[in-house]
Amino acid sequence: MNLAGVISGHVDNRIALIDGDDRVDFGTLRGRVAAMQVDLEARGVGVDSTVALATGNDVAFVVSTLAVLGLGGIVMPLNPGSPTSELARKLAVADPSMLLVGHAGRLHLGDPAVGTATVDLIEMAANAAAAHVSGEAPATPVIVDRPDDAPAFYMATSGVSGAAKVAVLSHHNLSWIHEALHRIEPPLTPDNVTLGILPFTHIFGLNVVLLASLEAGAAIVLQQRFDAEESLRLVREHGVTMLTGAPPMWQRWLDADAPDDSMASVEFAASGAAALPLGLFEGVKARFGVEIAQGYGLTETSPVVTLGRGVPVRPTSVGRVLPGVDVALVDESGTPVDVGDEGEIVVRSPGVFVGYLDDQETTDSVLSEDGWLWTGDVGIFDDDGYLYLVDRIKDIVIVSGFNVYPAEVESILMQHPGVSGAIVTGSPDEATGETVVAHIAGTATREELERHCDEQLSRYKRPTEYHFLDELPIAPNGKAIRRALR
Amino acid sequence: MGAPGDFTFEPAPDLPGADRLSKYLFGAIRAATPRLWDFVIEGREHVPTEGPAVITPNHLSFCDSVFVPAALPRRVWAIGKGEYMDSWKTKHLFPAMGMIPVDRSGGDAAQAALDAAADVLEQGRLFMIYPEGTRSRSGNLHKGRTGAARLALRCNAPIIPTGHEGTVDVQPPDTVLMKPRKRVVVRFGAPMWAHEYGDPDDPRTLRRFTDAVMFEIAQLSGQQYVDTYAGKDDRPADTTKPSAPVAADEHQSVTPRRPSVVGSAAPSRPATSSSATVHPNVPVADGPPLIRPPSERPSIPSRRVAAHVDEGDEVARIGVPPGRRDKASAAEFSDDA
Repeated sequence: MNLAGVISGHVDNRIALIDGDDRVDFGTLRGRVAAMQVDLEARGVGVDSTVALATGNDVAFVVSTLAVLGLGGIVMPLNPGSPTSELARKLAVADPSMLLVGHAGRLHLGDPAVGTATVDLIEMAANAAAAHVSGEAPATPVIVDRPDDAPAFYMATSGVSGAAKVAVLSHHNLSWIHEALHRIEPPLTPDNVTLGILPFTHIFGLNVVLLASLEAGAAIVLQQRFDAEESLRLVREHGVTMLTGAPPMWQRWLDADAPDDSMASVEFAASGAAALPLGLFEGVKARFGVEIAQGYGLTETSPVVTLGRGVPVRPTSVGRVLPGVDVALVDESGTPVDVGDEGEIVVRSPGVFVGYLDDQETTDSVLSEDGWLWTGDVGIFDDDGYLYLVDRIKDIVIVSGFNVYPAEVESILMQHPGVSGAIVTGSPDEATGETVVAHIAGTATREELERHCDEQLSRYKRPTEYHFLDELPIAPNGKAIRRALR
Repeated sequence: MGAPGDFTFEPAPDLPGADRLSKYLFGAIRAATPRLWDFVIEGREHVPTEGPAVITPNHLSFCDSVFVPAALPRRVWAIGKGEYMDSWKTKHLFPAMGMIPVDRSGGDAAQAALDAAADVLEQGRLFMIYPEGTRSRSGNLHKGRTGAARLALRCNAPIIPTGHEGTVDVQPPDTVLMKPRKRVVVRFGAPMWAHEYGDPDDPRTLRRFTDAVMFEIAQLSGQQYVDTYAGKDDRPADTTKPSAPVAADEHQSVTPRRPSVVGSAAPSRPATSSSATVHPNVPVADGPPLIRPPSERPSIPSRRVAAHVDEGDEVARIGVPPGRRDKASAAEFSDDA
């Protein structure tokens, strides 16, 4: 098998990618991939070569990724906006033979500090397009047959273990997710149009937004830089049916200066990466008439574990378990807890990754020998099998024996109008074991917040320490980076 | 405070237990308890004088079921074993004391118990349930089952957190007789309402509400809270006489119990785990042993050795110059969070 096969079998003149004025049909896409493969082979890329990629959500990303995969190589997509030092650190872990640099990563081209030979992807992509048009290149790409467990992607991730890691995902890991998605009603069809705004350097953007759509023969409208009004214009212009974003993007779409019928064509709206506030769900539903489904997954699960597709949306749930995925919520001893109790989410599926690159120790700490991934996330099922996320197990603060979930305290603090950001951690306390500490950005005073928490939280959950900061470590996708404050 | 105060006997012809016998029994218990024991009641004003409420005491001794009802200003009901109805000794007595027999055989016992309890509350009466599910042998307050919260939500009734001390001295485990003259204190806390704890359709609300109730019970009973269920390895760590674990009283439970598993069950633990949270005072059990031949271990793809690997460098597995490797492993990949 080979993941690059996602572009095979679709009608030549069916549109695959829309990037501004560049409309690439499947025939053209295959031709450009084949042409770029000639170039890559000349540079020594073949079976098991590792090629890193620093470009945005553009046609060059898609063409180069498929070209490398087709030749049997491994792709390491990197955030093109990363500082050089960070890029160099990640590259050092995987040691690719070259770094292909596109528009968004332009800064890194030829920079010796990157530590890996850089190649101009803009030029390669232009040459491939020209070679395809002129007919110099073969029309059909090379798609080398690979074993199911052969690595396809090296994904940099903070990982379920919390430390910096490179997750190894196989061809079968990713393609199994496509099969599983087909089993949910309604399946993806060539009539779908997806907005490609979530970064392809992250597993959801890569495997669901990009590869699963290509596999289904759907069209992907590429947007490289997030701009809420522009997104909504693209949705209207191209009749986007699948719209996925992280909570901060949904917030900006909700606030955007755009017609209220901007999402009229949207059939499936989804959010991931961080918890979607209920107010945001309700706001989007009221303004645009779409219900945002949440999902849950990790890089290590390729990524879908649960999804709110094909079932009625429950706004605060991350949906139901994807068919074919085993999920159990367990206590410390590994025994499943009762339904209605919180437990650590453990997952087994063909999408569960191979392991962390060159890190057997960390791999062994999260993956059991028979394939159960211990995610470190705490969840709870309702009676109908919908999953709700509670928090990261490592972030739980234990006050007088009671579990305090920082996410709950953060969401209460965020409800105060004078709070623009809140991160909650624990700190040791002689009397209670641990105590709750709030890190706050905003104009609220300690007295105001204490009053607010007195009304909203059980006594043991109320912060006993407040730190007021100008800025909090919150990732662009809305996830709080609590470890930075401990 | 002090001995039982005012008491209103509510006739309840629709519920199990003959009113006349019940009135006599409640009267006898209320008269006897302050004479036989140093019986102190606090917070009685928190128990509503009319309308439904769920009374949730900690559970240490069989005689909790005597002292808590004796401390209440109203008649109270609770779920009991259907088997008590088979014995002539108990078939009239226990229902008159407020026991609602639930047949544990056949069907969903928890659902039947929940329905029976809801019936009591819907008639505007008091219902008592031990949220720990069974007696605590360790003396600690254990994690609460969510059944009381489910009931409170379903019937729009408040929960009255209740804590007591001293009952275990009156009737220690495995004894039949109640020792007189001991001090027993029963304390009632302020009513708690489920709807203040979030969306009723979200299962996290039930858990959150239950934990908040347990916190209040811990304040009232003075017990140390432990985040594990009672009945399972809950004896004090220093005990020298191990006994069989106490099974949870399923027939009395109004909490549905089925494992949180979708797909196949029996997950196994990683070989080395860094993710378990160790709770204070709780022994962490070992996971099931993993017996798998080494060949089935997840294999990390072995990397092709790059051309510029230092000769003989067996430690740096992938040809990353050693200096850079250290940096890489210590790095935080900030944008992947």
